Amino acid sequence: MGNQPMDRQDTSRRNFLRGGVALAGGSWLRYTAPGIAALAQAACSAQEDAAAFAILTAKEATEFEAIAARILPTTDTPGAREAGVIWFFDQSFGTFNAGNLQFARSGLAEFQTAIDSGELFSDLDEAAQDAFLKTQEQTPFFNMIWFMTLTGFFGMSKYGGNRNDIGWKLLDVDPGMHAYQSPFGYYDAEYMKEHADD
Amino acid sequence: MTDLPKFDTHEAVDFVIVGSGSAGGIIAKELSGAGFDVVVLEQGPYRKAAEFTHDEVDVIFNRSLLGGGPKVSGQTFRDYANKIARETNRPPAEYAQTVGGSSVHFTANFWRLRESDFKEKSIWGSIEGTNFADWPITYEELEPYYTKVDWEIGVSGAPGPFDSYRSKPFPMPPMEINSSGVLMERAAKSLGFHAQAEPLAILTRAHNGRAPCINCGYCMFFGCEVGAKSSTLAAMIPLAEASGHCEIRPECAVFRLETGANGKISEVLYFDPDGKEQSQKAKAVIVCANGAETSRLLLLSDSPRHPDGLSNSSGFVGRNLMFNSHSISQGIFEHQLNEYKGVQVTRIIHDFYEADPGRGFYGGGGIDARAFMSATPVLHALTSLPPDTPRWGAQFKDTIGHSMTRTMTFATGSTSLAQDSNNITLDPTHTDQWGRSAIRVTYKDHPDDLAMATFLQDRSMELLEAAGAEQSWRWPVAPQAGGNHLLGTCRMGNDPSTSVVDRYHRSHEVKNLFICDGSSMVTSGRGQPTMTIMALAFRAAEHIGKAAAAGDI
Repeated sequence: MGNQPMDRQDTSRRNFLRGGVALAGGSWLRYTAPGIAALAQAACSAQEDAAAFAILTAKEATEFEAIAARILPTTDTPGAREAGVIWFFDQSFGTFNAGNLQFARSGLAEFQTAIDSGELFSDLDEAAQDAFLKTQEQTPFFNMIWFMTLTGFFGMSKYGGNRNDIGWKLLDVDPGMHAYQSPFGYYDAEYMKEHADD
Repeated sequence: MTDLPKFDTHEAVDFVIVGSGSAGGIIAKELSGAGFDVVVLEQGPYRKAAEFTHDEVDVIFNRSLLGGGPKVSGQTFRDYANKIARETNRPPAEYAQTVGGSSVHFTANFWRLRESDFKEKSIWGSIEGTNFADWPITYEELEPYYTKVDWEIGVSGAPGPFDSYRSKPFPMPPMEINSSGVLMERAAKSLGFHAQAEPLAILTRAHNGRAPCINCGYCMFFGCEVGAKSSTLAAMIPLAEASGHCEIRPECAVFRLETGANGKISEVLYFDPDGKEQSQKAKAVIVCANGAETSRLLLLSDSPRHPDGLSNSSGFVGRNLMFNSHSISQGIFEHQLNEYKGVQVTRIIHDFYEADPGRGFYGGGGIDARAFMSATPVLHALTSLPPDTPRWGAQFKDTIGHSMTRTMTFATGSTSLAQDSNNITLDPTHTDQWGRSAIRVTYKDHPDDLAMATFLQDRSMELLEAAGAEQSWRWPVAPQAGGNHLLGTCRMGNDPSTSVVDRYHRSHEVKNLFICDGSSMVTSGRGQPTMTIMALAFRAAEHIGKAAAAGDI
């Protein structure tokens, strides 16, 4: 089962969860604890910018990162690039996502071939990149990159992405906290005031 | 600290319990506490509270608590029996593999059944094409055990306007209301419904030597790192081990119950952590492996005397699978709710619990207000954005950033009807990582089940509007391709031709075989079965212990 792509259904947001109780995930996500432990150890070195990629070539990394950077672009807040999502790609392909590396590589090759001008995706300007991505957004390859970009951006930084908690800062949450006290939000704070005399 | 016993596999222990979850953990504690020697075989590892994390990549996507998911379980799914079942990416029968079972990773919503649940066929009448039936027991008979769960397992809550009677108050008050609870309560008031505090298997006060909840926000799908969630891992297993009569054997996967010449089970065959076949001799066996695993084990234990599987001359082993029906409606609000803090649910609505012929279909259920997927970052981004959000780009990113703290969900849980066509069977071609025939799930929701889920979703959308949501949307109600409530597949009953165990959970056919877990349930309840599974387990343990003491095994 090593190189099965995630099918479209798995990665489409609408279909991710069925019946309200489901979990997300694709075939690439089946690797368990030992892989994770190795990954966490490796993350330390991967986070040094100078460190080489463990799995990806520099060329591949440039293209994957360029796609991720259009999914979660740099705006007035940091995007996939600044969050180091490409390091999540590299780490995961070396561990629990190894089974999909070949699919990612062949998918990237097809993706490139579909660019009429023959240019690399990373060489296109942003408008041209977006126009091209619109033609690709239903492909299993794009879905996989989309899924990995979000998981890398919002997952724990020990997996290589979400550097400096960039993902969590975007959400205005701090999952590093392990305890909270009520009131938690605006409406329960208001309620607490109203019921102060109860 | 008591030395943990190590029992000889060649000498028959009083009981082998298969599975350490909601039922197995309780029965292990009760019987070992009564002085019986008990071996618990659990296929998952023995994780302690300190090992639980907030790591979505590990828990959600690598499915660490689920034993890896369908790629290693080999589970397959189909909606109709005339189709070939296929592997899926989501486990069609989803359950935790860890000591404490699914009580470790569940959300801890904890509803009792009501008087009506046990005799609904008498109230409503027959439903053609289904196995809709009354239970062999009543609420009155189970109530003392619900109360035992409240106090021994640890349940927080406050009585609601429609609840069935309770013989003793909740041992501790409910969780503080959160923002989604406030919005539900206000909306319910304006629509004439009744919001009530959610009973939760989560401690709000120190109880039985355990610490209360710290509101970390990682209840649903995750293990509780402080042991405040009342799993059997937190509440029962330590007591079982302290008895000196209970040996937990983790990472031991049972593949066969062997019966001897006298028709009783003589030994339990399993793979040890190294994958080697082992056999534990036992005087009696209690299977508590969940509605899917329990059925598979009985089907795998066929023999000339039991050609269709152990204790299956009725053909009811694996049959009548019920997932409960569900619907999801979501809304975004002006201000931050911050549902990533605290428990999932603090308020529920039970105005639609009872079946009502006026609706034109059978069913009943409840609505809860919850964080749902917006409790954790990756799941929120992947699943919980308004449907008109672009799928990538600057606006996509902005919407993710804006919405996580402002989104809430009305989730509904409701009835499933027992049907022959919804079942667990052995897959003829797939196997799991231990080489056991894979669990094959065949399931299609009954039209009444979908109608009830849709009815509750309509109410949910009204509630979102009344609560002042800036935007609201619904996930289409559609036939489910999997579930994590695994109910009804070895139902209890007085008639051996239409049930697998008797009213005390003893097999109708094999005297020293007992079965207690979600499979025992005759009807599905309204979507929160764990409280009932635990109450059944306390009751079963009492009767099994009495029978053993009297030599009647």
